[in-house]
Amino acid sequence: MPIEITMPRLSDTMEEGTLLHWYKKVGDVISSGDVLADIETDKATMELQSFDDGIFSKIIVQEGEKVEIGKVIALITEEDESPAQEVSETEPVQEVSETEPAPTKQDYEQGMTISPIARRLADEYKIDVHNIQGSGPSGRIIKRDILQVVDTTKETSSAAATTKPEEIIQPLVSEPEVVATSHSIVSIAPWRENRSEPLSNMRQIIAKKLVESKQTIPHYQVTMSFDMDPLLEIRATLNKQLVSSGVKLSVNDFLVRCCALAMAEHPAFNASFGGDCIYYHGPVNVGVAIAIPEERGGGLVVGTIRDADQKSLRAISQESARLSNKAKEKGLSMEEMSDSTFTISNLGMFGVEHFTAIINPPNSAILAVGAAVEKPVVRSGELVVGHELSATLSLDHRVIDGAMAARYLKTLKDLIENPASLLV
Amino acid sequence: MSERIIEFREALCEAMSEEMRTDQKVFLLGEEVAQYNGAYKISKGMLDEFGPRRVIDTPISESGFSGMAIGAAMRGLRPIVEFMSWSFSLVAADPILNNAAKMLYMSGGQFGCPIVFRGNDGAGGQLGSTHSWCIESLYANVPGLKMAIPYDAYDAKGLLKTAIRDDNPVFFLESERLLSITGHVPEEDYTVPFGQALIRRQGADCTIISFGRPLYFCQEAAIELAKEGIDCEIIDGRTIRPLDIETMVTSVKKTNACVVVDQSWSFASIGSEVASQIHRYCFDDLDNFVHRVHSDDVPTPYASNLEQAYLPNTRKICEAVRGATYNT
Repeated sequence: MPIEITMPRLSDTMEEGTLLHWYKKVGDVISSGDVLADIETDKATMELQSFDDGIFSKIIVQEGEKVEIGKVIALITEEDESPAQEVSETEPVQEVSETEPAPTKQDYEQGMTISPIARRLADEYKIDVHNIQGSGPSGRIIKRDILQVVDTTKETSSAAATTKPEEIIQPLVSEPEVVATSHSIVSIAPWRENRSEPLSNMRQIIAKKLVESKQTIPHYQVTMSFDMDPLLEIRATLNKQLVSSGVKLSVNDFLVRCCALAMAEHPAFNASFGGDCIYYHGPVNVGVAIAIPEERGGGLVVGTIRDADQKSLRAISQESARLSNKAKEKGLSMEEMSDSTFTISNLGMFGVEHFTAIINPPNSAILAVGAAVEKPVVRSGELVVGHELSATLSLDHRVIDGAMAARYLKTLKDLIENPASLLV
Repeated sequence: MSERIIEFREALCEAMSEEMRTDQKVFLLGEEVAQYNGAYKISKGMLDEFGPRRVIDTPISESGFSGMAIGAAMRGLRPIVEFMSWSFSLVAADPILNNAAKMLYMSGGQFGCPIVFRGNDGAGGQLGSTHSWCIESLYANVPGLKMAIPYDAYDAKGLLKTAIRDDNPVFFLESERLLSITGHVPEEDYTVPFGQALIRRQGADCTIISFGRPLYFCQEAAIELAKEGIDCEIIDGRTIRPLDIETMVTSVKKTNACVVVDQSWSFASIGSEVASQIHRYCFDDLDNFVHRVHSDDVPTPYASNLEQAYLPNTRKICEAVRGATYNT
């Protein structure tokens, strides 16, 4: 008996998962503990490990497909079994060549709805359902739609009585192309059409969490500007020295450390509103917002740099770079996204000078960081050219009052403008 | 063959009387069945023919006389218990469900319970919610019993004779609204077997499955829908236990659409059971999910207009068939 690999429940709220990537191909030898696939849950991308030994014998759910938990996604045969029951061991080549030329079942796109009898009739009459606009609710393809195509086909066939049955279907398949050609001017700009796309898991979570945050947390903002020249200078020096070790400190790495040290000094910034109490966290975990590239589906995640107040600049930088790369390439695990107590969102790299952010619950503050901009500044009573960075705190007024925010920013300013202290 | 036309209630009386003539073990008991000739005149003349030992008036105590009859059945007699209304059987739920239905099983096959419980079931006569029960969904849930619902005079007689001859407890559900309808009933002996549904109307577009009185609403709906070009096939299930799912499945495989009409409430009902089985056996033949028509999910209203609106009426059936066939 083959062992069935099912879609696992990888988080409490998970109901279905998307198979992002198979690491194994049919025929691979599997040992217990091997990573079989990446699964995207409603919250994160997680690895699916094998609990069994054997031979990877069949992929049932393809990459990109979303299925409910518990559904069989692949099969593993034990090593002493014949690898796959449907392929004969003696003449595997012949088996394949027999089944391939005349496929009776067709692939149905995800999200396409078609009634069972319509599906069966489409298979029987070999009708390509992708070209049919369903007349049922929400475009469901129903029996009537298939029978209409069959009727049209019959008319075509009686008009050309000598046409072979296989060829009868041809005009139907190519019909949309003909239409497309005659309307080619319109089709030059297909992006002008209204369209809707279903929400990805991530976008659903963003929509839900941020509405909740903005509606339940009394937000307010406090902005402060920072003289960045000393920090930029020390950064340039350090980066020159660190070239050989492959570490490149970003402005954001400095800010993570500054915020963490300031949080340690101001516990309200390392706290959560608990309804009837304020919950002060022990560890200082700074979350960093990471944008996911458009080609990976877009959206953003918050990676957590744990115990950021205890970590050196170099450790912060390495952790931050690792999280960012992993988030963009294959997604972060639940653990890598959990437990932040404060979040930094930095749009400085895009040239943004100032913006405000929405608090990432259960944090009670988020820092929206702009670019270090070269501009005329007054230093010691003189107008000079310097670098200034503007950062805006969004705060939960249930936990942090305005004066507390101002004091936190003052600490932050002292740290940023006297960066030598960050090195110790 | 005779073309004799008699009333539904006369057909019931004939079935009981004929079986009592041929089998001395059969007897009738219930409230007003003897001297008053039955609350609905179903047992008219039976006291005169069979005497007070076999046609027995009981006190108003359903629990008592049901239990007594079950004891008689266990000892080899074949009682027919008339409930003036199945609504009143609720106070006898313990003997009829807990004793009659389970007796063969719980006694390890030592005691059977060849008994018929019969009476009026269903609303439609402004009797108020407590006297308008459709007990089929409630009772059909219990294993060990059989349940029959006659549609016309012919089936009333044929099914009741089968019920009396059956060695198991049979719940026989009549409708007060149908007692006066007339139909062709042959004079010669015949029975209608359990578990054989009947196609009451042939059609190509949608299968309507029902039992008992709502079948008349189905017939009206089919006439209405035919004007719209929707050709309905109507199946009379005749017995709920056993259920002739084969006939229903064969029809749905032909029409690819199905509506179940059940006069009980929708939750956990005959309708939901039939729909579930159709979904199972006809999954690849369905063009739409099985649509269901039930009484509304409220206690039966007393007001005549509300009561008619509450029933699984013609309007609701038409809407369901249009929905199931995508003709909305």
